[in-house]
Amino acid sequence: MERFIIIGAGAAGISAAKTLRILRPEDIITVISIDEKVHSRCMLHKYLSHERDAQRINFVDADFFERNDITHITCEAVTKIDTEAKTVFYGDNYSAPYDKLLIATGSGFFIPPIPHFREAPNVFGFRDLSDALKIDQAFAKGKRVFIVGSGLVGLDAASALCERGAEITIAEMAPRVMPLQTDDYAASIYQKAFEEHGCRFLLGIGASDAVTDKDGNITEVILSTGEHVPCDFIIMAAGVRPRIQLAQDSGIAVERAICTDEHLRTSAVDVYAAGDCTGLSGVWPDAVSQGEAAAENMAGIPTVYEKPYPFKNTSNFFGITMLSVGRLDLTEGAEILVHKTQSEYKKAIVKDGKLTGFLSLGDISNSGLYLYLIKNSIDISGKQNKIFRLSFADFYGINQKNGEFAYNI
Amino acid sequence: MKRIFIDPAKCDGCKNCSLACMESHRQDGGTGIYTLDLLDPRNQSRNRILSDGKGGYSPVFCRHCDIPDCAGACMSGALHKNMESGLVEYDAEKCAACYMCVMSCRYGVPAISPDRKHIIKCDFCAHLEEGPACVRACPKKAIEVREV
Repeated sequence: MERFIIIGAGAAGISAAKTLRILRPEDIITVISIDEKVHSRCMLHKYLSHERDAQRINFVDADFFERNDITHITCEAVTKIDTEAKTVFYGDNYSAPYDKLLIATGSGFFIPPIPHFREAPNVFGFRDLSDALKIDQAFAKGKRVFIVGSGLVGLDAASALCERGAEITIAEMAPRVMPLQTDDYAASIYQKAFEEHGCRFLLGIGASDAVTDKDGNITEVILSTGEHVPCDFIIMAAGVRPRIQLAQDSGIAVERAICTDEHLRTSAVDVYAAGDCTGLSGVWPDAVSQGEAAAENMAGIPTVYEKPYPFKNTSNFFGITMLSVGRLDLTEGAEILVHKTQSEYKKAIVKDGKLTGFLSLGDISNSGLYLYLIKNSIDISGKQNKIFRLSFADFYGINQKNGEFAYNI
Repeated sequence: MKRIFIDPAKCDGCKNCSLACMESHRQDGGTGIYTLDLLDPRNQSRNRILSDGKGGYSPVFCRHCDIPDCAGACMSGALHKNMESGLVEYDAEKCAACYMCVMSCRYGVPAISPDRKHIIKCDFCAHLEEGPACVRACPKKAIEVREV
């Protein structure tokens, strides 16, 4: 009987636990997490807007651990891994031995070195349920919110709070909102929607200093332009960093993230890593497949994890839906195709007969095809003229054995 | 585990399957395709009969894949592969409308709902004892339910 321990109960940790249970019905599986409740961080905004309670942002069934006979140790941080003795230490001097260990500690928000920001008690991240709880408490006392960063996390927080009547200022260093996912036009659509809901954007502007009260709380943010913006609290959404401290302290090789090989093994024997802490990707589906791949390897089924295509995401704010895949900014020597109507905007970047970037705003149904074309560098020469009308019919194939589809390319 | 097998060579493109799907999932309480509002996007079909560009047809139906990309991408737990029935089930209550499933399905099956709050996807007509309406509506037997 083998003992499997998983550190972290996010997308990667849970998918690993689920996969391990299927592969190893009899073995001992334990998940240790700081979080009290399993929750999807992609749904935190639904919690913050009070649309859902904590149970309804849980992405597994309430009886998941019970039904799968998995022990869940909650509210405990793993403090050290003894990779020689194959033991993890957590909480108040507890320890647990493992045969195979998975580190799925995720990533944490990052506070840039702006004076007072790192010390101030009213600066929050928006990554975990515990962050959302803190924001909720702060919001009960003051409704003027300053958000640093207009990526998905910043806009998630903004959309949740503006529905509750917050007075929101969002500072973005780049010249447009969601700079990674959008182009200027798509960004302007979202910007307008947020402004109509009462948000104010400061584009191309950063926070450079702050005024604090006697408790160190930031009461005014000083912008790079010199302007002072009064606020009750601050949400940091200026990027995340893989959580590597535990691995580093335990002598496991790290760079910016935990180093892994193609089997998601770390430098320590029988220790694996998956999810954001590996730095391989930052989106949910990739974390899930890393969790699965790591679990298979841990169970003794050699599985190579293919590095995911680096950039892909969707967003849905105020019913405005967008999909963004690949690089929209690398346009040198490329053909840029655009389709624009009152309700839709699509853009394709084609280089050397291959799609390298795709943006769709509006009805994004059927857009999984474009991710597939980009991810697999599929030649679409001769199909440029109908690039926005492509469907699986253009690549139609059937696997006669099991009746599934297959790309015919 | 069941799957709808497709024989594209038999498909005449009559779209009886699409009409049957729309009729099976209509929400207005009515019955019979003569009262079905074909222009209401809420009634859209969950299958699509596409032209293959050569005079034939490429029917696209949800495969309820063995390894479903949609369910792997789902961050709310709304999409889930039922290992007993083999179906990829959708719980609209749980759905957070992030549309990662739409992005991840390489065959373009899940569609976003007109109100942008859900997805529209094949449920194998779970509410019908006799099974998927599309299969029964096909006059050419181009689609049939088989055990896999």
